[in-house]
Amino acid sequence: MTVRSQVAIALVMILFSGTAGAHHNMSALFDFNNRVTITGTLTKFDWRNPHIQLIVDVNKDGQMETWTLEGPPPIFFKERDISKSDFENAFGKTVTAEASRARDGSRAGLLRTMTLPGGKLVSACPQNC
Amino acid sequence: MKHSYRIAINTTAAALFAVLLLTPGRGQAPTAQEKAKIRARNIAQITELASRFITIYDRQGKMVKTVGPKGLYQQPVFSPDAKRIAVVETDLHPESTDQFAQTADIFVYDVDTGAHTRITTSGNREQAIAPVWSPDGTQLAYLALRGGSQGLYRKPSNGQGSEELLYKLPGAGYILSDWSLDGKFLNFSSTQLNESVLYALPLDGERKPVEVTKSASQIQAARLSPDSRLLAYRSDESGKFEVYVRSFDLAGGTGGGKWKISDGGLGMVAWRRDGQELYYFAPDRGIMAVSVSTSPAFEFGKPKLLFKAPDSFPVAGTPGGLASISRDGQRFALVVPPSPSLREITVFDRQGKTVRKVGEPGLYDMPALSPDGTKLAVVRSDQVTNNVDIWSFDMKTGKSTAVTNDEAQDITPIWSPDGKQILYVSIPPRNATYWSIYRKAADGSGSAEQLFRFTPGASLQLTDVSADGKYLGFSSGGALFVVPLTGTDPLARKAIEYLRDEYNEFLGRFSPDSRFMAYLSDESERNQVWVRPFDSASGTPSPEGKWRVSKDGGDSMIAWRADGKEMYYLHNDVDTGDTMVMAADIAMAPSFQAGTPKLLFRLPNSPQGNPGQWKNVTKDGQRFVFTVPVTQAVH
Repeated sequence: MTVRSQVAIALVMILFSGTAGAHHNMSALFDFNNRVTITGTLTKFDWRNPHIQLIVDVNKDGQMETWTLEGPPPIFFKERDISKSDFENAFGKTVTAEASRARDGSRAGLLRTMTLPGGKLVSACPQNC
Repeated sequence: MKHSYRIAINTTAAALFAVLLLTPGRGQAPTAQEKAKIRARNIAQITELASRFITIYDRQGKMVKTVGPKGLYQQPVFSPDAKRIAVVETDLHPESTDQFAQTADIFVYDVDTGAHTRITTSGNREQAIAPVWSPDGTQLAYLALRGGSQGLYRKPSNGQGSEELLYKLPGAGYILSDWSLDGKFLNFSSTQLNESVLYALPLDGERKPVEVTKSASQIQAARLSPDSRLLAYRSDESGKFEVYVRSFDLAGGTGGGKWKISDGGLGMVAWRRDGQELYYFAPDRGIMAVSVSTSPAFEFGKPKLLFKAPDSFPVAGTPGGLASISRDGQRFALVVPPSPSLREITVFDRQGKTVRKVGEPGLYDMPALSPDGTKLAVVRSDQVTNNVDIWSFDMKTGKSTAVTNDEAQDITPIWSPDGKQILYVSIPPRNATYWSIYRKAADGSGSAEQLFRFTPGASLQLTDVSADGKYLGFSSGGALFVVPLTGTDPLARKAIEYLRDEYNEFLGRFSPDSRFMAYLSDESERNQVWVRPFDSASGTPSPEGKWRVSKDGGDSMIAWRADGKEMYYLHNDVDTGDTMVMAADIAMAPSFQAGTPKLLFRLPNSPQGNPGQWKNVTKDGQRFVFTVPVTQAVH
């Protein structure tokens, strides 16, 4: 079997496994070489496939900025012993996140790491190292 | 395939993870013991299917020897004196309690004795890849994932001492390709959004990368000539992959000439030590040599074929990542994937008795029966051309017809309700940004009609078309979608989220009356078959409820009988590894009801050919069509 067919079949297997893989082209939306670190309050999150979404309000020089961070699917975290409740417990509290910035310059990013209030470090690596 | 060197690792991982996620079950969450058993069996299967030897050939293509035992190898690289080979080996850690444990590390094999030395030791889910030798052969540099960050490292090639971080990479998507023969710098590149940047990292003084060149095309496998004045690399700037040579000056960039030396070149770029010959891999698996002179000006001759790699050697992705050429041009190290086992299209009755075999064995996937059961659509991978196309078979005569024949990978065939057309997903051959759903006449005539184009970069699995022809159903990213086939502009059609949760839902299949959707979900920790109402007015689940059909786990292949009174699915037996073909009595009025599932028959081992997609049951539920490895028997 050629790599092409292997890759094709692997692709298909990914699809058919039902796992939530990359749903859209991350490289198109986010610049992996342009990182931002933000500290703010976790105000919302959406814990669903194909990507979780986290909303963090950041106080920047007295002005509130709302950042939207996209992360891997829930199963990615589950496989790493990070649960939805870790984020629920962080709701309304201060978190620090590192993300690859959106190419369009908006306050959006692809989550790389997040430090939760208790100090637990959540990493989205290797999906976004 | 932008981050090409990751492919093999990821492919292995994907295969493993996918198999693991198609795990069997007994209704409740699988126990740790069950998980371990399943994992061990799946790893054994992957190891058997994907392990390969490091094989050495001479210039005439004669096999000289194999080096070391079989393994999950990639990226072999000869040492400068060709006495050793550095190689990346993937370890799936069958002993680990982490279901997803995997590492990739670099080993050095002695070509004569086969003795090996471990160079790197990666932590769980970390990797060390892309080894390059120092000119004197005493060190190896490589790209490693350590503590969540990628970096360039080096370590003595005898495995002694600790690894040294040379440069922490600022992001992702980098690959290391060369160590200059003057020993002064490493070449590495990044590719994002089809923009490639080639960097040189000076190893003396301040280690600050110099941007050598930037291109809107892919630049891969860049190798410096022995005098470091020229750079050979693979690029798709002409629309197909070729090997180019351009002048190179670290101080002055890459001004000067640029020459295309191949007529189709897929990589495996290497210079002979004396700078008089250049090598590359051609699309027909030819290992080519080109006479060159580098001084005073670059000149090159006509490429000549040295020999052809075996048929199972890849010609897509980055085949250069599976080969190395010694610096004297006399030895070629290839890690050749094993030939795949062919499958037979086999028809079974409800008792598991073989009724007939259809056509010749081939690399078939995803069989889909036409509504009247007289024809079968399959995905067929051609070993020689590497095309992945849709074919249809006449179930009586075995006559086959190519429905598609193009460079795109065409997968997930589904018949239109009237049986006249086949719908499928097409993945473009290069820059596969958009996955689209097309339909084409089942006899292959005419042109394909695009029906829908999905989100950029998003994959999708076409799983069904409703019996009334009004909706497409597909899975993506663990969620279920439907597309109303309204209007005439395929780009204006929008997908509706049918189900999107924190757990995975996939393989949605409309009921014959389009009032329900059956699907697989792991919401109860293991895959089960569920049914929900489908509101054809809105394309969403109506709120009346949901019902579980499988009791002990449902893993793939959902089919409704045409009269809506029975449903079929596959369940993997955790103890034996067999695939169990299950049937459940159902009723759709006044509301959905499902009886206790019963075993119809068993197939040994996991079925091959992506059973998640199979739509392979006749409408009366009397015949089942599987793609069975030629050596496999039913029991």
